[in-house]
Amino acid sequence: MFSLFKKKSSSYSATLMPSGKEIRVKRGENLLTAALSAGVKWPYKCRVGSCGTCKCKILDGKISPEIDFGYVLNFDELNDGYALACQTALKTDIKVMVNLKK
Amino acid sequence: MKTFYVNARYLIVPVMTIATILGLFIGNSFAWLGVILFGINTIVDTLTKNIHLRADFDDNGNSYGIKKLQYAVMYLMLPAFIFLQVILAWRLYQYTSVTSFETLSFLGLSYQSGISGFNLIGSVLSAGLWAGLGIIYGHELSHNRKEGFLVSRLIMALSGASHFTYAHVYNHHLDLGHEDDPATAPRGRNVYSHAWLSHAGQSQYSYDLEREKLKKQKKSFFSLSNKWILGYLYSLPSILLFVWAGGVLGVLSLTVIWAISNFLLEALNFMGHYGLIREKGKPVEHRHSWDNDNLFTSWFFIEIGRQGDHHVRGETYFWELDDVDAPNYGIGYFSLFVLTLFPPVFRRFTQKLLDDWDENKATVAEKEIANQFKNLSIS
Repeated sequence: MFSLFKKKSSSYSATLMPSGKEIRVKRGENLLTAALSAGVKWPYKCRVGSCGTCKCKILDGKISPEIDFGYVLNFDELNDGYALACQTALKTDIKVMVNLKK
Repeated sequence: MKTFYVNARYLIVPVMTIATILGLFIGNSFAWLGVILFGINTIVDTLTKNIHLRADFDDNGNSYGIKKLQYAVMYLMLPAFIFLQVILAWRLYQYTSVTSFETLSFLGLSYQSGISGFNLIGSVLSAGLWAGLGIIYGHELSHNRKEGFLVSRLIMALSGASHFTYAHVYNHHLDLGHEDDPATAPRGRNVYSHAWLSHAGQSQYSYDLEREKLKKQKKSFFSLSNKWILGYLYSLPSILLFVWAGGVLGVLSLTVIWAISNFLLEALNFMGHYGLIREKGKPVEHRHSWDNDNLFTSWFFIEIGRQGDHHVRGETYFWELDDVDAPNYGIGYFSLFVLTLFPPVFRRFTQKLLDDWDENKATVAEKEIANQFKNLSIS
């Protein structure tokens, strides 16, 4: 219950797999924006959670979806921990698998 | 000082909405205040058509916009629009119950109890216009977090258009400039048919979206998880309020309000993308939207005219949107809206601009699609 009173971190780390590159994601920022700001060539198109291009798989850690992913990701993807980076805020440090643009 | 100026300039709609509510409350000729303000705005927009603005950033590239303030204002517009409907319902009740005319006072403010048929018409038109103009907040919040998304749905539900929030994000932003997007008006279509086709098309899209989602989740279509149904249920309090207040006249009044507000919403969609073309599957780029960066339009419509930037950076707050060299009508939304009401005039106005787009901005494939319209003598 004391976790309720824990001070929230101002940023969390996201380790991008398979490269192992680590980026910081500030509170109030989404994973895609943080990655693009860090110069990561993360694939994206619409940036509003409608196209699914920025899809990634959360391997470890907790996220907070900013919209319902169920309209874009299918049932299996949801169960396998897939997320839309442009609509993903972090609740802890995470490890995420993403196919970056060449 | 700059921070104050940048944030205060987006308060025109809230201030005028409150003025419209007060007009309805005071009664008499003030019931027409919302209509008069709409007319004044059209004049101001036309007179300032040559003043174009860029977004304001400090030396470090940070915006002057205060997120908490702008969000508080947008959220507070929900109770403001609810209040607008409640005041109108009260006036309807007075009309149908033939309340006698007398001057009364409430908290020091004099108002006329009782309302004439003529001023009731003014009240309904005022409420419809400002409910419609308020849809800019429904649009902005549709792109934001959970609570913002819900506020967007509720604001849109006051106009019977809660489906917009889903259709806008999942359909319009994805299929923009293509025939799969009902909110994009193809060349040759007029604003009147677009209003209906876009409204019905977006509702159909939202219906299909929910059907598919619920099928995947193995849930019944008739469930509270169905956001299409839920959206219309959000509109139920408005319907009940107006039925209670005015019976058949109440239903008629609400129909007029919804017709006006949805017409204004679809007129914005119409002006934002008319005639622009995108090949299916290709990225959305700045050239696929008409920009509107006129001073009054930018301030009044909280930068909704910066469509070029908005459609490429959909997650960006309105006060950070900027000029991106997208095609530009050169005149503000109020002035342009008047032109759309006269389809031949609007088509003549856009002809040169579309020819220029075809010549200088379209890709080869987009040009081919444009030529198909030309071959059918549609311009």
